[in-house]
Amino acid sequence: VRVIDCHTHPVFMRDGFTRAAAARLVAHGRQLGIERMVVLGDVLAYGRNPNRAQMQAINDQTRELCRWHPGYFIGFCYVNPNLGERAVRAEIDRAAAAGLRGVKLEIDCNARDARLRPVMLTAERLGWPVLQHSWDQTNIRQRRYHSDPADTALLARRFPNVRVIMAHLTGCGFRGVLEVKALDNLVVDTSGGQPEAGLIEHAVEHLGAGRVLHGSDLPIRDPACTIGRILGSAISPGAKEQILRDNAHRLLGLP
Amino acid sequence: MSIPPLIDLNAHLGPWPFAPVPERRAAALQKHLAAHGIRRAFVSHLGTVFRTDPMPDNRRLLVDTAATPALLPVPTINPALANWREQLDAGIADPRVHAVKIFPNYHGYRLGGRRAADLARELIRRHLPLLLQVRLVDDRHRYFGLRVKGVPAADVAAFLQRHADLRIVCLGLQRDELQQVAAKVPCVHADLSFAEWLWLLDAPPVPPAQLFFGSHTPLFVTRAIVDKLTRSGAPATTIATIANKNARRFFGL
Repeated sequence: VRVIDCHTHPVFMRDGFTRAAAARLVAHGRQLGIERMVVLGDVLAYGRNPNRAQMQAINDQTRELCRWHPGYFIGFCYVNPNLGERAVRAEIDRAAAAGLRGVKLEIDCNARDARLRPVMLTAERLGWPVLQHSWDQTNIRQRRYHSDPADTALLARRFPNVRVIMAHLTGCGFRGVLEVKALDNLVVDTSGGQPEAGLIEHAVEHLGAGRVLHGSDLPIRDPACTIGRILGSAISPGAKEQILRDNAHRLLGLP
Repeated sequence: MSIPPLIDLNAHLGPWPFAPVPERRAAALQKHLAAHGIRRAFVSHLGTVFRTDPMPDNRRLLVDTAATPALLPVPTINPALANWREQLDAGIADPRVHAVKIFPNYHGYRLGGRRAADLARELIRRHLPLLLQVRLVDDRHRYFGLRVKGVPAADVAAFLQRHADLRIVCLGLQRDELQQVAAKVPCVHADLSFAEWLWLLDAPPVPPAQLFFGSHTPLFVTRAIVDKLTRSGAPATTIATIANKNARRFFGL
């Protein structure tokens, strides 16, 4: 099995930022068939609304991980849209110069918010994908800052030239898949939550296998489990290959 | 690496109303589990979760599994009902029954209540283990019309402390909840269906001797839970302990 994991946090809550820990993760990933990992940063290390220096520290760490394992880790730049247009544009440009290749949006600002506009325009200019954390807010009720699938759908609709990755299929649930069905510039990653049965099949039925990417959300989730979830779902072998590797390979423009 | 045969403490027959999960008959479930290396499975009936009286679905479970020796039926007891002793007598009359199960949050009673205590005392008297199903789904993903959350970890810990002589396995505890319970009751036994973290078994919340494999089939993708244990990177002895040795010892299989 060949896999790309498009949703990882090798450093989580300040744990894991050593060469030894990174090397162990790479070795373990390779054992599981994971060829590349997208590193999204230690995005909750400073709470849900980090300041500019903290945002930069998160991305510096991501850059360092990529430097240690350049053929393995692919870095995305975390930005906090609440910090304003100048700060986020400068941070994305700084990250691009350092070799990062996408944007990660977390739970500091709802995806409907106008403050995302400079982020999206900068991503469009660079041709970067934007990964937006998303979770069904029906039972959570944090929508002021936490994006529901309907909010992420609106973001993708407003910026049709940006490729949006809606994170956390399990958190978005059956309704979330339907919210984004019509949006060709949006794909969903399978990270987050338990390996609930029926959802992968539902996503493939409504979005097509070409719009589903494997992600683990490690270390919160175990990639052995998240890969097994795809392999154990009732979809075709070709669909499994697309989800586990091919879609991310294409989206990330890998050689 | 060869995969040790698995004993599954957490599998279900019957319908699940909130998601299109496979609804298999007993023979199909046995075949499905065997294809994933699961040689024996403790199976309860999901119908008992939603119907007030669990007895009809317990009877169905016993009949349906009569020809599937790998499936060990686990009748559900609802101690909130006045006839819980009758439920218990009917359930354990079958010699294949090695344990009974409770769903406190779905059946609307507290573990600290009198009837749960009465049931616990009766199970101790009969030397019968209890499977305590803490949850069936992630609280965040429950059906919007259903206000049922997992049993609070503090309630689980208090119940375990109160009935220390009862052999209990908690099913469906998440990693952080298992840590909370273990802080108060270090000897807690639990399955790993909901407990997850990268390299969880490097520093498990409780020693491996207290952990069991539970697939939570059909609500979870069986292969995912099998791979979570067998491809965890943990030592083979740890995997074998959790895969089947603990269950053999605990239930005298």
